[in-house]
Amino acid sequence: MKILELNRIRKHFGGIKAVEDFSLSVEEGGIVGLIGPNGAGKSTLFNCVAGVYPPTGGEILFRGEGIHGKKPWDLCDKGLARTFQIVKPFASKTVLYNVMVGAFATTDRRSEAEKRAQEVLGRLNMESLADVRAGNLTIADRKRLEIARALATRPKLLLLDEVMAGLRPTEVDEMVAIIKGLREGGMTIFVIEHIMRAIMALSDRIAVLHFGVKIAEGTPQEVARDERVIKAYLGDDYVAA
Amino acid sequence: MNPILSRKLPLIGVALIALGLPLVVRSATYLHIVILLYLYAYLTMSWNLVGGFAGVLPLGHSAFLGIGAYTSTVLSLQYGVSPWMGMLVGALLASVVGVIIGLPTFKMRGAYFALATIAFAEGMRVMVENIDSLGPFRLNGPRGLQIPPLKTGLVHFMFAEKEPYYYIILILLAGVLTLTWAISRSKLGYYLMAGGEEPEAAQSLGVNVARAKLMAMAISSFLTAFAGTFWAQFTLYIHPKSVMSLDISFEIAFIALIGGRGSIAGPILGALLLRPVSDFSRIYFGSTLPGLHLIIYGVVLIVVMIYQPRGLQEPLTRIYQRAMNRLFGSREAAA
Repeated sequence: MKILELNRIRKHFGGIKAVEDFSLSVEEGGIVGLIGPNGAGKSTLFNCVAGVYPPTGGEILFRGEGIHGKKPWDLCDKGLARTFQIVKPFASKTVLYNVMVGAFATTDRRSEAEKRAQEVLGRLNMESLADVRAGNLTIADRKRLEIARALATRPKLLLLDEVMAGLRPTEVDEMVAIIKGLREGGMTIFVIEHIMRAIMALSDRIAVLHFGVKIAEGTPQEVARDERVIKAYLGDDYVAA
Repeated sequence: MNPILSRKLPLIGVALIALGLPLVVRSATYLHIVILLYLYAYLTMSWNLVGGFAGVLPLGHSAFLGIGAYTSTVLSLQYGVSPWMGMLVGALLASVVGVIIGLPTFKMRGAYFALATIAFAEGMRVMVENIDSLGPFRLNGPRGLQIPPLKTGLVHFMFAEKEPYYYIILILLAGVLTLTWAISRSKLGYYLMAGGEEPEAAQSLGVNVARAKLMAMAISSFLTAFAGTFWAQFTLYIHPKSVMSLDISFEIAFIALIGGRGSIAGPILGALLLRPVSDFSRIYFGSTLPGLHLIIYGVVLIVVMIYQPRGLQEPLTRIYQRAMNRLFGSREAAA
């Protein structure tokens, strides 16, 4: 079943066409990757899906329902959660507090929220950090916290915006393992990533965005062989090689 | 002795001191000062729900104080309604006004929100100062309203001595403390903090930030209006300058910022520190340097903001915890 369908999404900022006629569908239980050079429009597309701003044109269906113009908190209620590329922890509060904010999305009781938050922290191997102030975390732990908070809302679809950017190679491996674990738990994931090694290992399908336009879509192997993709990333000279 | 219980001893001690204070402080002047201290602690706690938890800086809470004071006074003077009833009506009215102010202004950021609330409160004060009656209600413009002390007793919310006022404001203060504590641990408290600190992240986690802030505003203005009625019944004379002046709004914000915004102990610590400064500077310099206390507040605020940007509650809480650990063993060991 398709959990997310994007039909000819356009997003213009004044005269700038950030995203143009982008279509993609995400199957339930899968991991779909979105890659593209800097400024290709990946985060803009994510923001359209997450309700930060409505697309200029096109249609977004989440579990068969149009979500055009819905606010982020409504989408969260419907089961769509996201992380931010530039992490936004509630820095003065503890990790547990941060995750509990997410857990309150599906319960009104404090004890229940705390229990669920602890569960999520356990799943991400973060129990020992529960009482640490979020502002004191390392970048890798902040990225994990972003995921923990989003998971605590019990989403059906998780949008991950560059959760591996800035991590060391070992930390990337840990993150890949975590995301694979989430998929095994039945989560559907739509992920933006720059680190090729990671996205190739994770994704069932990959879409490539270049100057707001989708230039390729397919399995990781197909995309890696695609001439236009190589051109977009490395320049014309490398195509022959 | 049970270590968990003994940790509560200081709090029980404070409660007992508060309850027994009027037996020791026989001077009406000093009791008056303590009552004002409690009143400001109460006002600041009410303000803290928005100004602390929700992370915005409202500087127009004097408007709600005024609404509370005028509503109950007009109702009792013109219609013989008990001030207790008037207190409730005033609070509901303030709540509605609070939400109406909040709807357009909560979209503003930082200083713009503060300026908008100042403008609103000042606008209201100027309006009340310039009209003698609002529809059927007599407000008496700048001359204000006098409450004739005809009948005393609990039913009439009017007493010849200071002690009953002391206990009433003490109960109000205990109530707002309990409520603040409960809210800080509830979903609303978490949502307010989250929305104040990182609105975008909060929204993506399902927090309707604007709605949480409006809720906080409704509760905060409701509670602030209670203090207005108390003020009116305590002084038996209200006029726009006394219950709607911006000085009051600023003093509340000073107390909160110096004591510690968004904390439970902060407003009380701030009031304990600043109110005596205000009262004694008024007693000794009232004729020569009126408003001296606000200058002192300003200096204290600058120093506190430089060295303890989260307010005095933070180092004091740390010291308190350390003392408790020294006396009764650490919390982990106790649990």
